[in-house]
Amino acid sequence: MIEMAQYLIVVLVTIGIVMVTVLLHVAYLTYFERKILGWMQDRMGPMEVGYHGLLQPIADGLKLFFKEDIVPAQANKVIFTLAPILVLVPALIGFAVIPFGRDTIQIFGLTFRPYVTDINIGILYILAFASIGAYGVLLGGWASNNKYSLLGGLRSAAQVISYELSLGLSIVGVLLLAGSLSLVKITEAQGGGMFHWFIIPQFVAFVIYLISAIAETNRLPFDLPEAESELVAGFFTEYSGMRFAFFFLAEYANMILVSCIATILFLGGWHAPFEALSFIPPILWFVGKVYLFLFFYIWIRGTLPRLRYDQLMMFGWKVMIPLALANILVTSVVLYFVKG
Amino acid sequence: MKRSRSLIEKILMLEIVRAMWVVFRHLFVKGVTFQYPHVKRALPDTHRGALALLRYDDGVERCVGCDLCEAACPSRCIKVVSEQVPDQPLVRWAPEFYIDMTKCVFCGFCVEACPVNALAMTKLYEYSTENKRDLYFDKKKLYEIGETYFADAKAYLVAHRQEQADETAIQYRYKFPFSVLTEKKEPSA
Repeated sequence: MIEMAQYLIVVLVTIGIVMVTVLLHVAYLTYFERKILGWMQDRMGPMEVGYHGLLQPIADGLKLFFKEDIVPAQANKVIFTLAPILVLVPALIGFAVIPFGRDTIQIFGLTFRPYVTDINIGILYILAFASIGAYGVLLGGWASNNKYSLLGGLRSAAQVISYELSLGLSIVGVLLLAGSLSLVKITEAQGGGMFHWFIIPQFVAFVIYLISAIAETNRLPFDLPEAESELVAGFFTEYSGMRFAFFFLAEYANMILVSCIATILFLGGWHAPFEALSFIPPILWFVGKVYLFLFFYIWIRGTLPRLRYDQLMMFGWKVMIPLALANILVTSVVLYFVKG
Repeated sequence: MKRSRSLIEKILMLEIVRAMWVVFRHLFVKGVTFQYPHVKRALPDTHRGALALLRYDDGVERCVGCDLCEAACPSRCIKVVSEQVPDQPLVRWAPEFYIDMTKCVFCGFCVEACPVNALAMTKLYEYSTENKRDLYFDKKKLYEIGETYFADAKAYLVAHRQEQADETAIQYRYKFPFSVLTEKKEPSA
């Protein structure tokens, strides 16, 4: 009984810490993005709220919280309400299996691990939940009873389905090398310096993963579901207040999630690039690598214009998927002869 | 001119990489933003801001109520009520003077038209208000602006070659410059 209670306490506290940290990072990712984008465009970004705009995310959150919650008269109210939750929950639930660090911490005789759980099909679990997020977008677009929302939702569904294939296929090469679906085991397989990271044998897969992940999270240059110049705001045209904030949070949480996965699969997770640098805590290495990816996303956003819809589909089906399949083929053949 | 791209360039996405490098360099370019309420631009003397009415150094109103500014105004935002100064025949003044700043187009024609340089433009541009009627400037308000921004107004007149120095300004007080008066006197003398 006591063991059970201890287990529950540990799990709940870990979940709480992970959730709060992730949500804080999500909030400050918006600030990070606006600042970096501003600097890239020779502007300053937010400067007014707090020192150099540091309190801007909090001000934005408060503003959204106090906004009126409008449901269109012709909308399907149940699904309209359900959709933002259906988008946000899968985005946050994926963090349950992300290993943020290596060392366990002992407090009051309880052992805390730097991840919520380590299930042996971790990566499959994340992929499964990521696909559920597409339902939220699609249903939200449909339930709004607005042509722009519907078009945005349809585009989103088509885009997510096509790019999920190449995303999943690009991961397979890594799984073959690591021999496990558990994210902890994949990270441990890359120990011993940056030359053991999977980015070197799986560079093609890494590039495919990066591009597909941008498409998967509906970020520029693949933000067709919310293309402002064509679809007003895409699937969340009719959403306001906290419901809109949910979509917004989900988008940034997804960004962090795919960056975490990229870090674990290709950049060796919490491992330091050189043994000499391993005095820096593993968790800092992890966060640093994640922010490297986030910076890359913002960088891409600052550089590239939006793709046309047919270009997006052609690129997904005719370039990415054949490349990913070829990568799996080459990896398997090489592995067969090397490890045989 | 169509540049054909080689296959290697396409595969490595060189165009995108080059574009990303350009964007990355701009990360370190200083922003061009003026943090407006905190930092203000230095305005040139010729800046056409809010209009002001001026007085001579001894406090006498320059305006002689000639209505020329009203006639010159293309947006018809000026209204002058002019009458004779009692006890002083041939001398006029303007007991009421209105400028509707909601209509003003800041062309500066009224300042050019004014024979005594009573009107001038200042560097004041922050006079926004919650009540639109506050933008209907009356004589009191215009003289207030003239007193507060006297240096700006002077600089405006000098920069636009309306009034070269203070001495010439005094001459206009008597409706004619000294040179004209002396020329008139000479034949009779």
